Amino acid sequence: MSELRWNPLMGEWVATATHRQERTFMPPADFCPLCPTKPGGFPTEVPESDYDLVVFENRFPSLRPDPPEPAVEATELYPVRPGQGVCEVVLYSPRHNSTLAEEPVEQIHKLIQVWTDRFTELGALPFVDYVFEFENKGEAIGVTLHHPHGQIYAYPFIPPRIERELEQSRSHHAVTGRCLLCDIAGEERRDRRRVVAENGSFVAYVPFFARYPYEVHISSLRHLQALTDMSASEQRELAELLKMVLVAYDKLFNLSFPYMMVLHQRPTDGGAYAYYHFHIEFYPPLRTATKLKYLAGSETGAGMFINDTLAEEKAAELRSHVAPVVWKGSNDG
Amino acid sequence: MNRRRITLADGRYLIFYTFGEEEPETASGAKAGAEPAEPDAVSEAEEERGV
Repeated sequence: MSELRWNPLMGEWVATATHRQERTFMPPADFCPLCPTKPGGFPTEVPESDYDLVVFENRFPSLRPDPPEPAVEATELYPVRPGQGVCEVVLYSPRHNSTLAEEPVEQIHKLIQVWTDRFTELGALPFVDYVFEFENKGEAIGVTLHHPHGQIYAYPFIPPRIERELEQSRSHHAVTGRCLLCDIAGEERRDRRRVVAENGSFVAYVPFFARYPYEVHISSLRHLQALTDMSASEQRELAELLKMVLVAYDKLFNLSFPYMMVLHQRPTDGGAYAYYHFHIEFYPPLRTATKLKYLAGSETGAGMFINDTLAEEKAAELRSHVAPVVWKGSNDG
Repeated sequence: MNRRRITLADGRYLIFYTFGEEEPETASGAKAGAEPAEPDAVSEAEEERGV
């Protein structure tokens, strides 16, 4: 059962997807459904014995291209619509025990090309208004499968957090004539204290307004709206900066750092979004090596985050673990 | 970058992405004479194209 129910109190859609209760939960490594299917082994989601990167439709989707009719009737107060959209899984590597941080920069570069392809194809679907590419990593985030992978949700509407960023960007542009994210990246680069790493095309920083202790944003230096706007060299430099941030995260507490990583790109609904700016946001749940930042009453009930740390100090910690990235193999696309 | 799209037994699609010289590795099992996967997931080539 899957449908979209309107929340009139917040003005946003909520997806119900009761079949997801049955999804695979923490299988043993020998029975990982995201590994290649080995000869004589049990059949996984990938019916071949090896792969490089793979994308497939989620077996337990919240949204699907041909959804069933809603199980409940809509009312004037409570509109309901089919849960139409696409949910995909992106397998980063056939190596079960790897993570994106441990993959070579060449593999991250390939992932960026796959993200670009999925943004183009899914965004072209007539019922898709927004393509959301993301990764939940680590048990602290609630992942149910350890194999290195991310997800893509192609929504039939612009999700509320993106809508709010768009509105802020639109207002800022109307008042100043400038891009909001260009101004933020510019201020962070002038100040320097919160910059974690940068190269010729991107800057990574703990934002002045960080909600999580180790929140990092990666912003393109050139004003662009999506992966599809990037040059080949910019995609390579994005891979480099992602690798730098991911490795610094793992070195911070000498553990595989949990995080949510989300790509914020322009909507694909045919509108004009020249004022918007591509960026990536990381929300790590750890505030120390052993303590979690919980989303409690103020964060969840009021929407106001309380960060127990200073962005300037956390950025310095991360910056001390940034190392140069070395390209080893072929990286052509 | 190349992609090969197949349809799984339950109708879902799956796309193999390959890059440059690493491309042959994707189908290494079949090319090496390994037993085909026993699918739940019978694969059927649908599309192969460069992007």
